[in-house]
Amino acid sequence: MLKIKNLHAQVGDTQILQGLNLEVGPGEVHAIMGPNGSGKSTLASVLSGRESYEVTDGSVDFDGVDLLEMDASDRAREGLFLAFQYPVEIPGVSNMNFMKAAINGKRAHQGLDPIKGTDFLQKVKDCASLVELDGRLRDRSVNEGFSGGEKKRNEIFQMAMLEPKLAVLDETDSGLDIDALRVVSQGVNAMRNSDRSFIVITHYQRLLDHIVPDYVHVLSEGKIVKSGGKELALELEEKGYDWI
Amino acid sequence: MTGSKESFISNFKAPENSRGLRSQGDQYLVDLPVPGRRSERWKYSPISKLLNTSLNTCSGEGVVWPEEILPDPVPFLDSYRLVFRNGHYVSSLSDMPIDDDVICMPLSEVGAEFTNDYHKREWVGAMNAAYHQDGLFLKVSKNVSLDRPVVIHHLTDGADIAALPRHYIELEEGAGAEVVVWSSASEKSSGMCNGILEANVSSNAYLRVDKICNEAGEIFKFSHEYIKQERDSRVKINTFTIKGHWVRNELEIVANGPGTDSTFNGAYLPTGTEHVDNHTVMDHAYPNGTSSELYRGIMYDKSTGVFNGKVFVRKDAQQTNAFQQNSNIVADKGATINAKPELEIYADDVKCSHGCTVGQFDKEALFYLKSRGIGSDEAKALLVKAYVGDVISSVDREEVRNEILRLYSERHGWA
Ligand SMILES: Nc1ncnc2c1ncn2[C@@H]1O[C@H](COP(=O)(O)OP(=O)(O)OP(=O)(O)O)[C@@H](O)[C@H]1O
Ligand SMILES: [Mg+2]
Repeated sequence: MLKIKNLHAQVGDTQILQGLNLEVGPGEVHAIMGPNGSGKSTLASVLSGRESYEVTDGSVDFDGVDLLEMDASDRAREGLFLAFQYPVEIPGVSNMNFMKAAINGKRAHQGLDPIKGTDFLQKVKDCASLVELDGRLRDRSVNEGFSGGEKKRNEIFQMAMLEPKLAVLDETDSGLDIDALRVVSQGVNAMRNSDRSFIVITHYQRLLDHIVPDYVHVLSEGKIVKSGGKELALELEEKGYDWI
Repeated sequence: MTGSKESFISNFKAPENSRGLRSQGDQYLVDLPVPGRRSERWKYSPISKLLNTSLNTCSGEGVVWPEEILPDPVPFLDSYRLVFRNGHYVSSLSDMPIDDDVICMPLSEVGAEFTNDYHKREWVGAMNAAYHQDGLFLKVSKNVSLDRPVVIHHLTDGADIAALPRHYIELEEGAGAEVVVWSSASEKSSGMCNGILEANVSSNAYLRVDKICNEAGEIFKFSHEYIKQERDSRVKINTFTIKGHWVRNELEIVANGPGTDSTFNGAYLPTGTEHVDNHTVMDHAYPNGTSSELYRGIMYDKSTGVFNGKVFVRKDAQQTNAFQQNSNIVADKGATINAKPELEIYADDVKCSHGCTVGQFDKEALFYLKSRGIGSDEAKALLVKAYVGDVISSVDREEVRNEILRLYSERHGWA
């Protein structure tokens, strides 16, 4: 599904990713943990095609295509999804128009006609109920005036709408209360299947109690420095990062 | 000799009516300087190119209306309509209200009193005073609200045209009217359209004006609105520049009594080498007035723009509440905007806020949209539509709103 080899990336003159290797197979869930500023969000940004990040070395193969050759829109259309650590507010653009444009962008890429109005509405209904997204939030401008937790729910709602092949969740648990954490995790779990992979970036074991990973990696100073099974997260929770 | 102010108007012919005003105009055409770079008001909107041309005022005779332009610019709006071509009234395409409480007719048939002294201040105004052809005259009686909007449609059509429309609106106490001022120009037209609209809004009356410029061709478009508001009157003016080679919108609102409410908004999205200038003046001289101004622009390609918003709050205008916001997005490297708010506040117990920004597209928002699979152009269109949508939504009539949106969408490829 995803093969990252020797990835180096920088912002301005600062080298942030320094030879990162990671392979994610179909249907797998990989957790990435690591200290603040170690490069987790940078990895997510580089994968999704944020322009301010420059890849200086390495390669990323996404289901047989060279991910780094594509712009952000095409990466999404090919099935990559990033749930933002800090979702963006876009006043004046309704959540619904936003999602319709996104779905139709992908459909056009696949040579399909725009989605039918009724199909779209049904999909909205199904996906919103999956993460218990309030109807009023669906109709408002994208993330405008949403609480921190509501924004995170909206990210997972969008993920469900877009049915990606690979979803990168960047600290989706931060800002969620206990109930919301459960709901959002259930949403993610409901979407797990043998073809869809996840990279879950988090600082806390509590998310991984709900979304149980197949692999756990520690990212430090722009590299994966340790990998293991789900028990690695428990160990990290107990001992911190110093022992690595 | 071309290029002199005398030569520019040498072919102009004045109709026979309004002799008093015209002779004043003639005098001020001699006395006043031509707008030039030395004047703060015209620095960024030079007209030397126009002055080098030789234009003609044409007679109203033998009108052929071009096929590609609908006489009725907002087809779905249930409205009255006054149609003008090159300054002259076209009665066959017009539909006027017939009502005892309303006087609505071509200005040339009335001879109205103007209180505006624009022709004494600006050469362009003097030109209109001296050579104006025709326009709307609308007077609504006390406590009467006009049952439908009045659409004034002015078309500039032909080469080297000098069109000088002049409109006058008088609302008596408690009266109300909605007016759509629409200007178009046919594809091959060139020259100048120099228009004035003056309105006197008596106490407790309300006036709403939606002004739309959608001109093809190469027209220098001057358009000056002067609105005088008496006690507790309400005014709302929206100015949309959809298309235009060179457009100067001037709006002056004078609050001439306490408790007035003035809302005025505008949007401009020039492309190519278009030039759009918005000059606004809000003058609070009495207490308890409110004003709210929102102008938004997006500058594409090599377009140039000007925003100048003056707000005066004079000594006696206590408890004034004045809000002004102008924001601009410079979408392409070659485009420029000169934006300048000018607030002069002489009263101490007032609430005034203003903001003026010039920036680029919100990169974070663009990336967010793209990261969901929305293409770059479409993502920009979504943002632009939202940005300008705030101004469009202040148009009260849905039919007008939709037409503005449709034209912008068509022009800018919004979905
Ligand atoms: N746009 C940027 N400009 C400058 N420095 C940046 C930029 N983005 C990231 N950095 C720097 O790169 C480093 C890695 O940042 P990143 O956001 O990837 O860390 P993180 O692992 O996600 O941290 P956290 O756990 O706090 O979210 C940090 O030192 C950060 O300051
Ligand atoms: Mg981060």
